[in-house]
Amino acid sequence: MANENKNNSSLRVYLFVFFSVVLLALSVWVVWDDEFGLRPWKKYQEDYKTLKHDKLERDYKKAVVEFERSGGHKKLAELEAKLDKAEAAFQSKETQEKYARLNKQLDAAHEALTVTQKELRNLRGQFLETEYYFTKTQLPEYKAKMDVLQRQIDSVGLRVAAQQKIEDSFKESLSIVTAPKAAIQGEIEKMKNPLEEAKEKIAKNEKVSVEIKQIHIPDIDKADRCQSCHIGIDAKSSVSSVQPFTKHPLSVIYLEKHDPNKFGCTFCHRGQGRATTTAEKAHGNIKHWDEPMLSGDMTQTSCLNCHGDIKGLRGAEKIIKSTELIKKYGCYSCHKIPGYETVGDVGPILTEVGTKVNYSWEVKWLMDPKSYSSISRMPKFYFTQDQAESIADYLFSMTGTTRHDIDNTKTKPDAKLVEAGKALWAQSRCNLCHVTGGRGGNNVKVYAPELSKVGGKVNKEWLFKWIKNPNAYNPGTKMPRFRFTDEEINSLVAFITTEYQDEDMEYKYVQPVEIKPASIAKGKELVQKYGCYGCHKMLGMEDMVQVAPSLKKQGVTFLRNAEMREKIGMELSSIGSKPVDMLDFGKMKKSISNDRLTYIKQKLRDPRGYRLGLRMPNFRLAESEINELASVLYGFTDANVPTRFLVPSRQELDRMAGVSSYKFTGDFAKVIADVKCTNCHMIRGIGADYAPDLSFAGSKLQESWIRNFLANPDVIRPLLQQMPKFGLTSGKPLAKVTMPRFNLGKQKVEDTNKTDVDVVINFFQQELLSSDIPKDIPKITSLTLPEQITKGKQLYDLKGCKACHQIGTDGGALGPNLTNVGNRLNPGFIFKHLENARKFKQDIVEPNYGFTETERIYLTNFLMTLKLNTK
Amino acid sequence: MKSLPEITDKVKKNLIWKSIFRRDYRNTVRDRAQAVFGNVFLHLHPVQVRESAVKLRFTWGMGGITFFAFIILVITGVVLMFYYHPSIEQAYTDIKDLEYQVPYGVILRNLHRWGAHFMVIVVMIHMFRVFMTGSYKAPRQFNWGVGVILLVLTFLLSFTGYLTPWDQLGFWAITVGTNMGAATPFLGYQGPFSEFLHITPFNDVRFALLGGALVGGNALLRSYIWHCVAIPLVATILMMVHFWRVRKDGGISKPQK
Repeated sequence: MANENKNNSSLRVYLFVFFSVVLLALSVWVVWDDEFGLRPWKKYQEDYKTLKHDKLERDYKKAVVEFERSGGHKKLAELEAKLDKAEAAFQSKETQEKYARLNKQLDAAHEALTVTQKELRNLRGQFLETEYYFTKTQLPEYKAKMDVLQRQIDSVGLRVAAQQKIEDSFKESLSIVTAPKAAIQGEIEKMKNPLEEAKEKIAKNEKVSVEIKQIHIPDIDKADRCQSCHIGIDAKSSVSSVQPFTKHPLSVIYLEKHDPNKFGCTFCHRGQGRATTTAEKAHGNIKHWDEPMLSGDMTQTSCLNCHGDIKGLRGAEKIIKSTELIKKYGCYSCHKIPGYETVGDVGPILTEVGTKVNYSWEVKWLMDPKSYSSISRMPKFYFTQDQAESIADYLFSMTGTTRHDIDNTKTKPDAKLVEAGKALWAQSRCNLCHVTGGRGGNNVKVYAPELSKVGGKVNKEWLFKWIKNPNAYNPGTKMPRFRFTDEEINSLVAFITTEYQDEDMEYKYVQPVEIKPASIAKGKELVQKYGCYGCHKMLGMEDMVQVAPSLKKQGVTFLRNAEMREKIGMELSSIGSKPVDMLDFGKMKKSISNDRLTYIKQKLRDPRGYRLGLRMPNFRLAESEINELASVLYGFTDANVPTRFLVPSRQELDRMAGVSSYKFTGDFAKVIADVKCTNCHMIRGIGADYAPDLSFAGSKLQESWIRNFLANPDVIRPLLQQMPKFGLTSGKPLAKVTMPRFNLGKQKVEDTNKTDVDVVINFFQQELLSSDIPKDIPKITSLTLPEQITKGKQLYDLKGCKACHQIGTDGGALGPNLTNVGNRLNPGFIFKHLENARKFKQDIVEPNYGFTETERIYLTNFLMTLKLNTK
Repeated sequence: MKSLPEITDKVKKNLIWKSIFRRDYRNTVRDRAQAVFGNVFLHLHPVQVRESAVKLRFTWGMGGITFFAFIILVITGVVLMFYYHPSIEQAYTDIKDLEYQVPYGVILRNLHRWGAHFMVIVVMIHMFRVFMTGSYKAPRQFNWGVGVILLVLTFLLSFTGYLTPWDQLGFWAITVGTNMGAATPFLGYQGPFSEFLHITPFNDVRFALLGGALVGGNALLRSYIWHCVAIPLVATILMMVHFWRVRKDGGISKPQK
């Protein structure tokens, strides 16, 4: 029994010891882990310190080498010898006596001054006290006392000033005594300074303590600790090219505008700013963290968080390009996207489509738009033949009662007429916007329809009316009205319908067939279900609302929040920050990665893939387009952005200030509505960037030149920025892409008796002026004009202008051709342009040569002599 | 240098030592009993326990371990409260900071979280043991009742603590849990017979639990107060009763010989 007890107790001791050791080990591990294991940034900071030390050390050595190379030691020795001499002179008995005497006098003066200053302070105090009592009691005795005190203060004040002067004079005398020595000392210090600075930097680096670096944005309680590891992210230069020690790329653009100490990192990069224990956690690449870190170009999606208008935003090039796709495919037609409220319909008007196209074509198009044109933007809805016919019936029933086709191949027009049409086609630069046979369509953003097979599609009569006045059929069209005569239009129609035939087309309804009412009703139902009215104007569908959920709650126009909630359910309105748990992966749950970006991409790739019953059509986007579009959608968030970060768009600012944005007025507005200048040109922020910006055309261009150019763009051919890339017609390739000939000047603008050229010139000269651009350049009287021109020519050659500019056939083709510049531009514009080219065009490549004013006058005078004789 | 006995003497023979320990300790039955009687923490415990009653294979020690887990949870819970704000803006980030920034925050939170799971498991095993050994029988019926209430309180502690990190898991758990409350007969607006009492979503038991009709800031605050103050208070009192009844009902039940 006793033995058993003993055995038991010794077992207990062993167990006790064992568990004690385990507990102790665990405790040690907990301490170690908390100090180092969970705080890996400590090591990064130490490493960074070492790297920085090495770099500073190198800098120091460089400074030493530089010091020695410039004979620093010798100079220093000389200076020190001088200093010794000065010191000896200073130490001489005479000087020392003077020095001591002056010091004594200075002390005495200072003492006297202090006493008087104290007296003054006392008096002022008394004055304030008396003033207080006076304001309180309004007794005259206080007033009297105040006057007495004021007089005293004045007199004592004078005394203080006098004593101050005495003190200053002693100080000056003293400084004269010590001046020689001080001057040499200053020189020595200046020499040693770079070395000292480099040394100081090293010492400073040593003192940097290892600590968590946190940026806290209190109003939204954001805490970013990224810099605990990325310690050198906001440094001016990298100490290493290895992460996490590098500096931020392009910090000139990104960090200078967005001070990391104010913005933090996760505003743009997302990720988990608070995490510090591992890179995966901090970068948000873990399960249940919805915001993985954005890096590289994808980060630009975050610009949309704050910037109302990203047009021309530096560093946002990718997202600007991607955003263009929203306009291209008209996402805003079905989805609510703030900022796109006023953008026009993406598809053509369909109210009278029955008079425009063949029925067979319509059905074929509805079933698969890409079978007609590979660049078509219309998506595939997966309609069956039956469904497509119903919709076509509904559309055709608006203007008639039959399904009907016209086979254009049956009629053979006059060959001469076709030839004339072909010439007109080339002359009018139709291919500038329209693609035929895989060529043309250089002005991409107009999204003009491809015409390669248009002969199988359109009705000739309709085509005639359309070319004659496009606005009459579709008031919102981008197609300009070329002022063609009826014969010209006839020739063009003949050319188009014979040249661009559709070989695959089957004309089933050359004999018209009556439409069944049941089919119309079914068609209408389908139109309503799939929301055709989102992109196309249709009769009877004017009041329909959007069919799809909103894509964005906040961002581009953040003020519309309230408006949006009225219309669309909140839960779908901010796709870029929607919790991943709330995304319906449906059938794809197991086959794709469950994150938001993948979800968006898959939705774009296969819009109806997640489950049955989805209505979104398939745009058949290229993978690159999917990536771009997804990056934009990813930026539509309801991120909690402090209002002070928001940069409203111009429109938004105008709206807030109650100012309406720029609009064309008067007769010029009519010309614009007719000729659609803004398809290519930008005028005061309206329009496209395909052709030169005309915002200051009135100041820039000469009237006679504009007149000639508008009447006949081909003749003068100013060689602007575009380089030839392709021949525009199958016949003769054109040398340069120029403006189409709109046949301006032949007709009067409606309700006026001015020609359209006059209206344009009038508007240019009245409206499109810049107060910065003078009419004329300053005159120089010291030289005669020919002398100035010669000087200008010399400058032109000296600065190598001809590397980019051409005069005649001499020179490069990067910049505009200057052969006829004297006829084209106003001297004031040239003068100003030479000063700072970027003032007028942000992304211009022309370098700034920093010409002086006189040089600019010489150059301008020279350039104004360059004129082409055009009668 | 003073010798060890001298130092011990100096430490022991002064007023402070004496006021705390009062008497010398000799390892006798009387002194052992005195030590237990004289200690506030030990006086709940019986002075003497039958050897058979502390046999591990009979009791499994589960009741004591549950109490031990409770003590750990109280200590870690109090420390956690220093770092936590029961507001929807801060709650989640506070938890994140515990993981990433607070010194020893990881072990602190994990002790609390795993300790809670541990306590729930252990308390159920304890109940199982009590049931299997028939220890709920007379004269221990009352204490069985107290134990059942303590079990429910443990579950409620676990449930209310679930919401405090303010994450998706807790949010939906509370949503589901309180919706079940809404289906209570008479008291929940979705429950049977509630129409007789004019119960609506705005005056039913779910509303009382959430402090509103949805899981929001009020629900977080309520669950925080229940979790940190109200339930632990009640549980502590009931635990006192529980332990005291164990003694009064004849000590820990023992196997029948």
